[in-house]
Amino acid sequence: MSDKKKSLTVFKSDRHEDVAAIFASALIVVVVLVYMAFIVPSVGIKASQDGKLVEIFVTEGTDVKKGDKLYSLEVVKKKWVNNVMEEKVAVESFTAKANGKVLKISGKPGDALKKGKQTIVVLEHEKGTLP
Amino acid sequence: MEDKGLFGKILAIVPGLAVMIGTLYVLRVYVEPWMKDAVVFGSKGWLVQVLSLNYILLSILTGMFYRNILFGGKIPAWAEEGFRTTRLFIKTGVIMLGSLYTFDKLLKVGGVAITLIVAFVFGTAIFVLWLGKRLGADRSVTATMAAACGVCGVSAAVATAPGVRAKPVDLALSIATILGFGIMTMFVSPFVGKMLSLSDYQFGAWVGTGILNSGQVLATCLAFNPNFAPGTAVAYGEIWNVVRVLCIPFVVFFITAWYWKGEADAEHVSLGSILASKFPIFVLGFIGMTALSSLHIIGAEGSETLHLMRDVMAWVFGIGLVGLGAYIDVREIKAAGGTPLRIGLIAGVSKYVIAMIIILAFIPKEGAF
Amino acid sequence: MKSPMKSPMKSSATTPMKLLLALDDGPGARRAVDEAIRIAREKGATLDALFVIDATWDVFTGHDWLSGCNSRIGFLEYMQGLEEKAAAESARAFLERRGDVPGELLTAPGDVVDVIREHAARGYDLLVLSSPFTRGLEVMRDAVTRLTRDAPCDVLLVRAAPE
Repeated sequence: MSDKKKSLTVFKSDRHEDVAAIFASALIVVVVLVYMAFIVPSVGIKASQDGKLVEIFVTEGTDVKKGDKLYSLEVVKKKWVNNVMEEKVAVESFTAKANGKVLKISGKPGDALKKGKQTIVVLEHEKGTLP
Repeated sequence: MEDKGLFGKILAIVPGLAVMIGTLYVLRVYVEPWMKDAVVFGSKGWLVQVLSLNYILLSILTGMFYRNILFGGKIPAWAEEGFRTTRLFIKTGVIMLGSLYTFDKLLKVGGVAITLIVAFVFGTAIFVLWLGKRLGADRSVTATMAAACGVCGVSAAVATAPGVRAKPVDLALSIATILGFGIMTMFVSPFVGKMLSLSDYQFGAWVGTGILNSGQVLATCLAFNPNFAPGTAVAYGEIWNVVRVLCIPFVVFFITAWYWKGEADAEHVSLGSILASKFPIFVLGFIGMTALSSLHIIGAEGSETLHLMRDVMAWVFGIGLVGLGAYIDVREIKAAGGTPLRIGLIAGVSKYVIAMIIILAFIPKEGAF
Repeated sequence: MKSPMKSPMKSSATTPMKLLLALDDGPGARRAVDEAIRIAREKGATLDALFVIDATWDVFTGHDWLSGCNSRIGFLEYMQGLEEKAAAESARAFLERRGDVPGELLTAPGDVVDVIREHAARGYDLLVLSSPFTRGLEVMRDAVTRLTRDAPCDVLLVRAAPE
């Protein structure tokens, strides 16, 4: 089949394409993990959902351990209960995902935050941990 | 074909790939934010909220625009090799979706997904075999359409065709029918889902069960809710999709066995050889990714690491979807007709509507995770 | 469509007229072959017949990203086999009817319209094809419009015999 090679570009068959996709995804995962664990010195932690900043539990220079509370957010929680969408306002605390040190506090209580937009806390994490 | 060597092959990919990446960049960075703020019919964000025109659908639509209008119906030679990486990107995205689950979450939903899919896959296949006979369709057309309507659309037709000696014209018409139906449901389903206030769980389960072409399930879920996170439509739809893909070899075996049973020169059909040649290996990557997630190796839920990973996943998918759109030729879909179209419409609409009824009756709005 | 009547019919004293017949496997195939042979005999022309093996099935199914393992390549090989079989049958039918008309039988893989256009540009005076032209995946496209839009030579469309 003269055009067989051309038909699947760099891959000889779908089997090769499947294996290449497995390698590509593994490579992406490794790059992201190495980047976050060893290359990025600090991360700006942003709100994971829209809400109002209620309290910041840490101060600049504080050492934090994985699981320590960083800040709390007043959010509207939406949940289906008995096939009805229930909305209630709740205050949720968010914790550190890795050991590290607080470099900067950017938010202040009362700030209205948009998901993934404003930085609340800048955290320097220990090398080799995933913030 | 001249052998360009590895470097030459990689170089040939660059122009088309640059178009795909550049397109997604413009859509995500400029177009989607503009659409979120645009006021249409006096409502801010109407285009995104009502028409579900988020970057996922925009990627596909732009790809279709390139192919059908800008390129005049054919991907030009300079972009061809780059656009051929489409499948690699989407498969990579699908494997990475495995990171949204842990095995216990998969087990919670897996039972429901397997029950619904097995019932719908074999129910539809048997219905189409009966319908084909009623309509006096050729046995190879009936067999191809039974596989296509039953399980994964075009992939199932492609997997079944050689085994049932499908004819090129019938195959072309079958593929156009399935693709056309898939594209239509991709744009209609998010609208219907929002109109009926379906939850992410119900929507994922519905489109995962009811859409003919599995290739459109993830895009439809992402059109409904573009977030990649546990508990979103794509997280549920993907479980359904994986179960469907795993069903392909079994459906091919069932249909091929049916076909040869009615032929004079019967051929021996073995499930083992079908599994060996049709098993979708990339699903193993998906399971591997779920294993990493279950072992908490890829970052905690809510971490910036997972946030970045999901952002990369969204880009990988988006790039693939621009390419996917460029493989959709509207002329070819418009040419669909004949018996495959009749079978496809009857089976497709029935499956879509019955799946909706079953979901509304038996699947709660509360997600399993 | 360009009219074959406008074609400068070359006299037998100069270079003989060159006809290209695009073969297909649709309902009008036989009439197109007969018509091309008739003109070739009448004009003392050479008649080359071209069968294009449609190599666009990979693009046609390019949106299918779910096929894994050997599904897709197995499918493409199956289609290639069918295309080659169609080419052999079409060639046999043409050779049976051609008789003593001089010319070659050509087979080439690729996009049907592109390949025909490319061949037609090689000094042919007239391209003969059936309408509708249903070679390979052209059954889903519109080969006649695409070919006549910027044809490199005159084109004669032969419609399928009325039923």
